[in-house]
Amino acid sequence: MSIRDIIRRSGRSIKSAKGRTILTALAIAVGTFALTLTLAASNGATAFVNKIIKDNFDPSELFVAADESLFGQGNTTKPREYDPSFGTSTTNAGASRQIKRITQEDIDKIKKVDGVESVREQIAVSARYITREGEKKYVATVAAYNPAQKPEFLAGNVNDFEGKKIILPEGYLQDLGFDSAQDAIGKNVEIVVPKTLTAEELRAQLLKGTLPTNADQLAQATDNNSEAIQFNIAAVSKKPITSQPGTELYIYTPGDEAKALNDITTQGTANYQKYNFVLVKVAGGTDDNKLKATQQKLKDLGFQVRSVEETQEFLTNIIGVLQGIVAGFGFIAIIASVFGIINTMYISVLQRTREIGLMKALGMRKRDIGRLFRFEAGWIGFLGGAIGSLAAIVLGSLLNPWITKQLDLGAGNNLLIFKPIQVAGLVLALIIISVLAGWLPSRKAAKLDPIEALRTE
Amino acid sequence: MVIMIKVDNVTKTYGKGENLFTALYKVSLEIPTASTNAIVGKSGSGKSTLMHIMSGLDHPSSGEVIIDGKALGEFKPKQMDAFRAEEMSFIFQAFFIEANQTCYQNVMLPLEIARVPKRDRAKKVKAALTAVGLEDKIDSLANNLSGGQKQRLAIARAIVNKPKIIFADEPTGNLDSATGEMIIKLLFDLNKKLKCTLVVVTHDPEIAEHCKNKIEMKDGEIISTTGIKHKRLGK
Repeated sequence: MSIRDIIRRSGRSIKSAKGRTILTALAIAVGTFALTLTLAASNGATAFVNKIIKDNFDPSELFVAADESLFGQGNTTKPREYDPSFGTSTTNAGASRQIKRITQEDIDKIKKVDGVESVREQIAVSARYITREGEKKYVATVAAYNPAQKPEFLAGNVNDFEGKKIILPEGYLQDLGFDSAQDAIGKNVEIVVPKTLTAEELRAQLLKGTLPTNADQLAQATDNNSEAIQFNIAAVSKKPITSQPGTELYIYTPGDEAKALNDITTQGTANYQKYNFVLVKVAGGTDDNKLKATQQKLKDLGFQVRSVEETQEFLTNIIGVLQGIVAGFGFIAIIASVFGIINTMYISVLQRTREIGLMKALGMRKRDIGRLFRFEAGWIGFLGGAIGSLAAIVLGSLLNPWITKQLDLGAGNNLLIFKPIQVAGLVLALIIISVLAGWLPSRKAAKLDPIEALRTE
Repeated sequence: MVIMIKVDNVTKTYGKGENLFTALYKVSLEIPTASTNAIVGKSGSGKSTLMHIMSGLDHPSSGEVIIDGKALGEFKPKQMDAFRAEEMSFIFQAFFIEANQTCYQNVMLPLEIARVPKRDRAKKVKAALTAVGLEDKIDSLANNLSGGQKQRLAIARAIVNKPKIIFADEPTGNLDSATGEMIIKLLFDLNKKLKCTLVVVTHDPEIAEHCKNKIEMKDGEIISTTGIKHKRLGK
């Protein structure tokens, strides 16, 4: 019997035992349902992470640092030798730490590396506050604007974004007393940054006699020393859906301005003109090979280098673990249903003893009889896979808008993305598993003695 | 006279030692081509075992069966299957048709097994169903047929691939006498038309009377024949 005839005949016997078939297929469908949704959630999460990356970073840029601890690496149980050329800071847990920073010298070195197109310092200045005449003072961070970022603007634009200009996040509008985004455009705000008293300034105050003579007051005066700078609002950015957590209220200013602010705050400290990270743009860096080549060259120079993709790895890792758990349950469900298939197929063989006997008497080969039952099992797997994945797709498509709303993913972003090729692959895998599950029953059928099978008494 | 089936000194035993049971003892027989033959005897006489051995479903403990000049004992299982698919077919007392399938699908089975090319199938199925008078039931479910129609369907299935031999095991056993007679008449008409060798196993003397040759069995041996010769070796 040809394979086609066998598949057709096995399909027909499935049809004549509908109840039994459907019940067995439903067991498989449960597992398929879970797996299809897991795959879809995986696609959705990956797409979402990619969107975050795309909206916040230029993938042809590399993060370069001098200190491995900035990428969460290095031995933290061993004390570090003090290096007076770098400042100390505290970790979130309050521990003291010293970070090796990228110096101007390093930047010059990086610029010479083959494939490097440009280098920009990653700057985020902790200002003391931002304010406006007649308004309260609000904590603020000023960061360098990256042209690769494409924030959505409520008003204004960045066509001529040079000099003392800023992009104000939507969140500040009301607090700084603006009626609307449009109202803020062209208005000035005051940003006040901390400033270390230089020896020169101290000397000048000392001569003028304005320097406090009380040690406590002197210390306070030095601590509170600030510089206020006026900035003009060029644009108001919409609260981004896919911003990096913690950067939602960043006030962006042109790179040079950010650098100037940074210089003011660090002048006279060990961190002056030193940076935690620099972003290195690789010429033709969208090509993964070129990116990797330059990355290796920078590593050879002793720098810590991560691509955008690598910095987001932890996100994908968390997603992966969660998916692993759900997929595991799906697999358990499918393994359980395999026993269902074996059982169903044994019943099928018993019920059709005479039919098997007749087919053997008519000269059907053992191999073909075995196939007939294995394909029947395959049909059950196909039905289960089709029912399960279809149910998942229908339910997922119906739930997608609701999930998007609940998780605040933003219009057009779906958590569940179904890929036809994956679903097809899953169903195919189920057919194969089912065929394997039908192996033992099909062997029983193939080995059946036709004389015994056809005995009517 | 051309011989279709030659049974040569066949013995069939089951079990071992004290449980040894002799189903056939030194049976020799020659069945001519295109003849009609009845194997008669009570149950347990060995007539079904003889049919199974002649059709290659069972193997003799000793002796040989030669069909159409070919010794069945020399066939590998695969060859035996192919030989059965092309040269023989069966009709059973309990019909053994697939109730959930249409007449067309039932009759198609031997063609699929024998790997008859697809384009020839429909024509052959129609011809077979027409030969048994079921041409208008081609798309009906076998389940909806009467007993006599079911056996006619089984006959259509038996003749669809033009076999050289048809083995019929108590073909009228499940039918009332009028229907049974009709079935017998059909079988004999087809035997004449198709020139196939017909071997009927039965305990119904009336059927046996219709056959040209009669082989009577008792306790695993042929005790008498009419129409053909046999050797009786005795215990």
